[in-house]
Amino acid sequence: MTGTVYTETVVYLAPEAFAADVPYQVVIVTLEDGSRVTGRILGERVAIDDRVEQVELRDGVPFFRRVT
Amino acid sequence: MRPVAIAAAGKTAFGAFPDRDLRSLAVEACQKCLKNGHVSPSEVQAFHLGNFAGPSFVGQNHLAPYVSTAVGIRDVPATRFEAACASSGSAFFHAFLAVASGVYDCVLVAGVEKMTSQTTARVTEILAGAGDCSGEIKAGSTFPSLFAMIARRHMYQFGTTLEHLAAVAVKNHANGALNPDAHMRKVITMEQALAARPVAEPLHLYDCSLISDGAAAVLLMPLDRARDFTDKPVRILGVAQASDFVALDHKKDITTFPAVRRAAQKAYEMAGASPRDIQFAEVHDCFTIAEIVAIEDLGFVERGAGGPFEASGATARAGEKPINASGGLKSKGHPVGATGVAQLCDIVAQIRCEAGDMQLKRNSLGLAQNLGGSGASCVVSILGNV
Repeated sequence: MTGTVYTETVVYLAPEAFAADVPYQVVIVTLEDGSRVTGRILGERVAIDDRVEQVELRDGVPFFRRVT
Repeated sequence: MRPVAIAAAGKTAFGAFPDRDLRSLAVEACQKCLKNGHVSPSEVQAFHLGNFAGPSFVGQNHLAPYVSTAVGIRDVPATRFEAACASSGSAFFHAFLAVASGVYDCVLVAGVEKMTSQTTARVTEILAGAGDCSGEIKAGSTFPSLFAMIARRHMYQFGTTLEHLAAVAVKNHANGALNPDAHMRKVITMEQALAARPVAEPLHLYDCSLISDGAAAVLLMPLDRARDFTDKPVRILGVAQASDFVALDHKKDITTFPAVRRAAQKAYEMAGASPRDIQFAEVHDCFTIAEIVAIEDLGFVERGAGGPFEASGATARAGEKPINASGGLKSKGHPVGATGVAQLCDIVAQIRCEAGDMQLKRNSLGLAQNLGGSGASCVVSILGNV
């Protein structure tokens, strides 16, 4: 699944469940069909308009990596 | 529908009050309000309570009768309204409908939240419940991070800058320094705002409103009846509530809040007013970006021009369109369920010339905008001199 970054943020203050991952980047990705999904970024930080591909699905949450 | 007025108002200070429980805060606000209107609890015909997450914050459910009976209000319908941060705005909207339609002649509306007995991590978790827990929250979004994503996109689409965001924080903290009931009365500089630690980029510490305890209440009556109880009734000229998707990823364009635009449009229509007529407003600055988007969605400024408008000083106390003369949620604090009604109390105080050091000169027509979550609920109220 590939798409384009619509928006993103890096989270520094998180609830206990995600505290170990801080800081982590959350993205909203616009997919090929125009729909959007909220996911996480693996690897280097992305910016709006970057192309990303889904590399993992953890408990229903898509993890994306930038397509170089 | 007959004309409706706010006949009385009362609220607690906002802050961190370890020795105060939820019920005592709500009771204080209600009693102050009833006293302000010289109304006894037995005259109240219905009680509407706005509260976001009492069951999570303090483990108490069934909150409306829990509070009303403690105020001495017996037998009448007592209902809790929840619309995230628009909980008490929503309670107010429905109370307006009940009085305007002629069903009741006296309705007490209150809002309360007790947040500070939980840790910041736990509060963050509870607040996240106002987002979509099946999607964005599961992915690790926090409330600040949802507004951070809105800010990022607004910066990308319109060139809004970190300095624009900071200008909102600096203004609201300057205003809050004049507010004896504010949680934080410290003035901050632009440098401090920009240098503060990140919460969720691009939002830093001072871009985010505070975790607070507090309560507020207003009493609604038909305008004619209100005149028997106060020589300063404040007319509710327009009020509307609207909704939108909870999840940010369900929305076409996250740089605007359709629920704000829709509620504002309906409230303006009801009041026969335009954005230009509004002399001052209390808007929902849960995060600095929220104020920038709000003034655009309320029609005070064009789409995308909110940042420069704030930076120009136009929204300061001395500016052409004072926004959040009370200090806003940023410095007053944001006890979530109390905020909507507290904004109304602030507008009422301005119109009645009882705002003390915060008093504005042009105070005849005010607007309150109360936003729920990241835009899924909004209540816009327009109040004026009779």
